[in-house]
Amino acid sequence: MNITARRSILFDEPYRWVEAVAQRREYIEEQIRRSSPVIAASVTEGIVYFTFYKRIPKVYEIYDGIAMGSIGHPADIESIRMLLLNAAHLEGYQRSPKDVTLNRLLLFSLSPKLKNAFEEVGSSPMLVRSIFAETGGTVKSDRLMAVDFDGNVEEGSGTLSIAGSSSSRERIQSVLFRRLDHPTTLQEALPVLLDAYMAGVYDDTELGQDSGGNVIDPSMKEQALRRLFEENTQNACLLDRQKGSLVPVSLTFLNKEVAH
Amino acid sequence: MESWKNRGSFLDLMGGKISVLPSSVSGPERLPEGWAETHATTILAFHFSGGVLVAGDRRATAGNRIMTNRVEKVLEIDGSSLMAIAGSPAFALEMARVLEHSFKYYRRSQLTELSVEGKLRMLSQLLKDNVPMAMQGFGAVVPLFVTQDSEAHKPQIFFYDILGAHFEGVPFAVAGSGSVEVQGILRYLDRWGSPVRGLADLPETQAVVLALRLLETASFFDSATGGVQVRETVFPVVKILGRDGVRTISETDLGEYYRAEVDIV
Repeated sequence: MNITARRSILFDEPYRWVEAVAQRREYIEEQIRRSSPVIAASVTEGIVYFTFYKRIPKVYEIYDGIAMGSIGHPADIESIRMLLLNAAHLEGYQRSPKDVTLNRLLLFSLSPKLKNAFEEVGSSPMLVRSIFAETGGTVKSDRLMAVDFDGNVEEGSGTLSIAGSSSSRERIQSVLFRRLDHPTTLQEALPVLLDAYMAGVYDDTELGQDSGGNVIDPSMKEQALRRLFEENTQNACLLDRQKGSLVPVSLTFLNKEVAH
Repeated sequence: MESWKNRGSFLDLMGGKISVLPSSVSGPERLPEGWAETHATTILAFHFSGGVLVAGDRRATAGNRIMTNRVEKVLEIDGSSLMAIAGSPAFALEMARVLEHSFKYYRRSQLTELSVEGKLRMLSQLLKDNVPMAMQGFGAVVPLFVTQDSEAHKPQIFFYDILGAHFEGVPFAVAGSGSVEVQGILRYLDRWGSPVRGLADLPETQAVVLALRLLETASFFDSATGGVQVRETVFPVVKILGRDGVRTISETDLGEYYRAEVDIV
């Protein structure tokens, strides 16, 4: 059956369309389930992105003071990265860099495109979930927004994370909520972000702790940490409040601290 | 085969929509009677011990009219490039904006810095596009471009002719109507200067004072070059490209240098 015929059936029968969309959601979530989480947090120096990757980096600069971190299929990440890069630079040149805002880029450019792609059940879906950050003059005026594959936008305050599954994300958010003070500095935030990331990637047994978070076997966490650094590439960046650009942040000291 | 779309070209992205660039404007065959184009002068750049200093006065003129004494002719393009402009500010400032967006767009889309040669050619291309206008007698731009490789951290000075040819300025380059005097003084100091012979060995304080004195001298001979106006606290723009990137000398520091080393000496 060709695409036109299939679309015709779907439009003629609303139930089948709803069912197709639901299946599409399940398919996308299954595809990105094992993705490495991305965490973003406002610190006094700017906004820090924290993640690890196996194949390609996950964090990119979009415009002055605007960045994105994504999980999903690399081709889809590249597609939305270029969409936003093009939109931001055209707007910044034709009007002013001050007119390039995260709000405008996401609500009027990216979100509708993702929603259309998600609901267009006859075409291949966009496998991408992202966190966007925009630095303000202070921590309070920073903006963190997550955009899901269906175009839904969520705004965070102070921290925001994305992960392949909702349970992984809940574990990350729980650590961030309990342990990250606001405002905080980059150096103070990094160990907390590492713990939050590990909580999202490893289960309690792998981290040597019980369900209440009490440490039972510290050596298990050390092993998990060693594995994390050995099998992945660190990808932490600071979206610098003064420069407005992404600056790499080394995490090697976090691994060494544990090793010693 | 499909053409290579993501090659990081901002000009391709614009798709000919840069309506204010001279190449897309059809100019008149001759200038209207009594019409005088706005011009900016004087700019200079020289190597010193801390990198390259770039300075420019603040005056823009149209014929014998002073349009403004507050124009900024030394512009930061990205963290490792400066452009100083002499000639038509309308087109020069637009070129600077195109360059700024082009370099940033390239870095962000290709995830690497554009090479020094790539940056130089891009400015050459903009100047070449501007040649028809310049040949009709208006819109000419004569820039200085100072940049450094992001890894080598060795700043270089380049100057251009209006046709887009670029040359390296060692150890200095100048442009604009007041540049003749400045060029002679810089050559003299570099060859026989005292106490430091060779501009490249000058410490930063002496380099900034030298820039202020040079622009003051240019303004003495050239009415199109603005001098320092202490009462209105309008000082030349002085920027430095060093190992750590671009730095602007504050008006407070310029004021102190001017009062101590230029005005009362």
